[in-house]
Amino acid sequence: MIRKTWIGATAAVALTLTLSACGGGGLAAGGGGDGGKGDIRLGMAAPLSGSSAAIGPYMKNGAQLAIDEINASGGVLGRKLELVAEDDACDPRTAASAAAKLVTEGVTVSVGGYCSSATLPTLSIFNKADVPMIIPAANSNDLVKSKLSNVFLLNGTGAQQAQAAVDFIKSSGSKAVALADDNTSYSKDISTRTGEKLGAVGSVKIVDHESVTAGESDYSAAVTSILNAKPDFVYWTGYYQEGGLLIKQLRAAGYTGKIMVADGSVDEQMISIAGAANAQGVLATMTQTPQTIAGGEKWIADYKAAFKADPGPYSTQSYDAVRVAAEAIKNANSTKSSDIIAALEKIDGFPIFSGKLKFTPEHTLSEGGFGILVVQGNTFALNK
Amino acid sequence: MDLQYLIQLILNGLFIGSFYALVALGYSMVYGIIKLLNFAHGDIYMLGAFAGYALLTVAAGSLGAGASIVVLVLIMVVAMLVTGTVGLVLERVAYRPLRGAPRLSVLITAVGASFALEYGIAVGFGPNPRVYPVGFGNGAMSVLGARVTYAQLAMMVIAVGLMIALDQLVNRTRAGRAMRAISQDPKACLLMGINVDRVISRTFFIGSALAGAAGVMAGAYYGKVDFLMGFTIGLKAFTAAVIGGIGNLRGAVLGAVVLGLLESFGTAALGSEWRDVFAFGFLILFLTVRPTGLLGERVTERV
Repeated sequence: MIRKTWIGATAAVALTLTLSACGGGGLAAGGGGDGGKGDIRLGMAAPLSGSSAAIGPYMKNGAQLAIDEINASGGVLGRKLELVAEDDACDPRTAASAAAKLVTEGVTVSVGGYCSSATLPTLSIFNKADVPMIIPAANSNDLVKSKLSNVFLLNGTGAQQAQAAVDFIKSSGSKAVALADDNTSYSKDISTRTGEKLGAVGSVKIVDHESVTAGESDYSAAVTSILNAKPDFVYWTGYYQEGGLLIKQLRAAGYTGKIMVADGSVDEQMISIAGAANAQGVLATMTQTPQTIAGGEKWIADYKAAFKADPGPYSTQSYDAVRVAAEAIKNANSTKSSDIIAALEKIDGFPIFSGKLKFTPEHTLSEGGFGILVVQGNTFALNK
Repeated sequence: MDLQYLIQLILNGLFIGSFYALVALGYSMVYGIIKLLNFAHGDIYMLGAFAGYALLTVAAGSLGAGASIVVLVLIMVVAMLVTGTVGLVLERVAYRPLRGAPRLSVLITAVGASFALEYGIAVGFGPNPRVYPVGFGNGAMSVLGARVTYAQLAMMVIAVGLMIALDQLVNRTRAGRAMRAISQDPKACLLMGINVDRVISRTFFIGSALAGAAGVMAGAYYGKVDFLMGFTIGLKAFTAAVIGGIGNLRGAVLGAVVLGLLESFGTAALGSEWRDVFAFGFLILFLTVRPTGLLGERVTERV
């Protein structure tokens, strides 16, 4: 008998939940069309756990800062903005379910995406659900390869980053370059493009190209092979965990030449994993961070006041992604996907941290805005 | 391929092989005695690394940054006791109740235990990687032009020391004789008055302690520990144990060295992305050509 009562109670609760979920769903679905009420929801899939977990909070806070500012000045179309963040763990499968969750929560625009390999599977999910994506961090060219109309990149692409690396390598006078990547979409994209562009530069030779497996500790095989090729410049295009280990093991093996890392490795964790002594002078290709932007102090102060923590990589890009989304919704005067996409394509000269925003026909930035950073002490500083 | 490069490859292989060996020994011991593939063994290695991390973090407060090799060895001993005890508990909780059950159920329990350990640590220490508060410098010596750091040398000496100690234990002591006897015939041992349960517990303790030692060494040498670090090395140690002949301790060490060298030369020839493909491809090859391993005995089926 007791059992039956329980079943009845559970069924009643379940029914109530379903009903209320339907009500919520109806409201959220209204967000997709005109004349919706309530908050406009912006979705963000970012790594809050996993190998790149340090980055997630930077992005989330950056986006939240922009939302707070916009809401304080009256919101968009008379409605408030709301951030819905989901963990993608920098893992393709987790990211796909995070994206699906965001879609069911009725987000109007997606402003997330850090790891390219994790963002790729979310593209079709958002595309099918008619959600425009303004991707703040992920920047593999693979993201725009299939030319989905809803995908916009707010970070310079792999091709632009590779160009920045090539320009620097040329000007540094290095002659023999070794490339190393971690076989992920983002990393491989930059390293192959750097290789192709360097191949076209007469004075520089690529002496070695290694691909390591992410998540391992021992990179002695790659290190030995790099050293055997005798480079005077090593460019690592993967993430900070492996980057830190690779730098440490390269230095322990006696490598004294220059080392440069790509933006996925720009995190202070990389310095602590490599050991501060080993990391000194390591260079990085990086989109601007607030710390390296002239006049960024006020922004940093606002951020610190709001979250009691320092901003980090992609805080500014996420902040910009929200502002761009709000601008597009405002210009479109609608929350309909096709209107927002049309408004995004029309944006010209909107000021974001990396310069004046205008999307190319491929939906990438018209200017890359990559700078060169260098490790000084326990942090990254602008290379002067 | 010049001589210096060749020697460097051999040294790399021996170094990584000594890590594999410490973990492979536990695999092989447990399999030898109760025919169980303890898939949680790699996670015991991870646990050792985290035990070392926790101890060092506490110790660093009172010692300051300058932790010597002596402190590290002390911490390693404590971490070995911790992982040994966890191995003991694991056997008691997860494996002993299933001793009469079909092999498959025990195997599944082992996989479950592996996840429990991994995500237990993820809950306790967070999913982010941790950096050991002490590390080794880059001091190095040259062997015929190849480079080996003092840290690597110290690790290899400790690993070899532990392996010799285990070998003596198994071959020279009463406890070791009991282990060997049980691996031959547990029922007969029971009839001869050997406390089989206690010997199995002891085996788990020793095997887990060795894996814990490897974990601390890896943490101190590589600097970075994370909760999934045991997975790959568990598989590699299993491969090493199979190559050497699972159940045979000297075979496990030989298999580990062979695997280390294979990886080292294989990646030099094919490129780093082929390292794991090569290692596990070799495992498949070995299982088809000589499933009993290098030093394994041919098991005759009794009719």
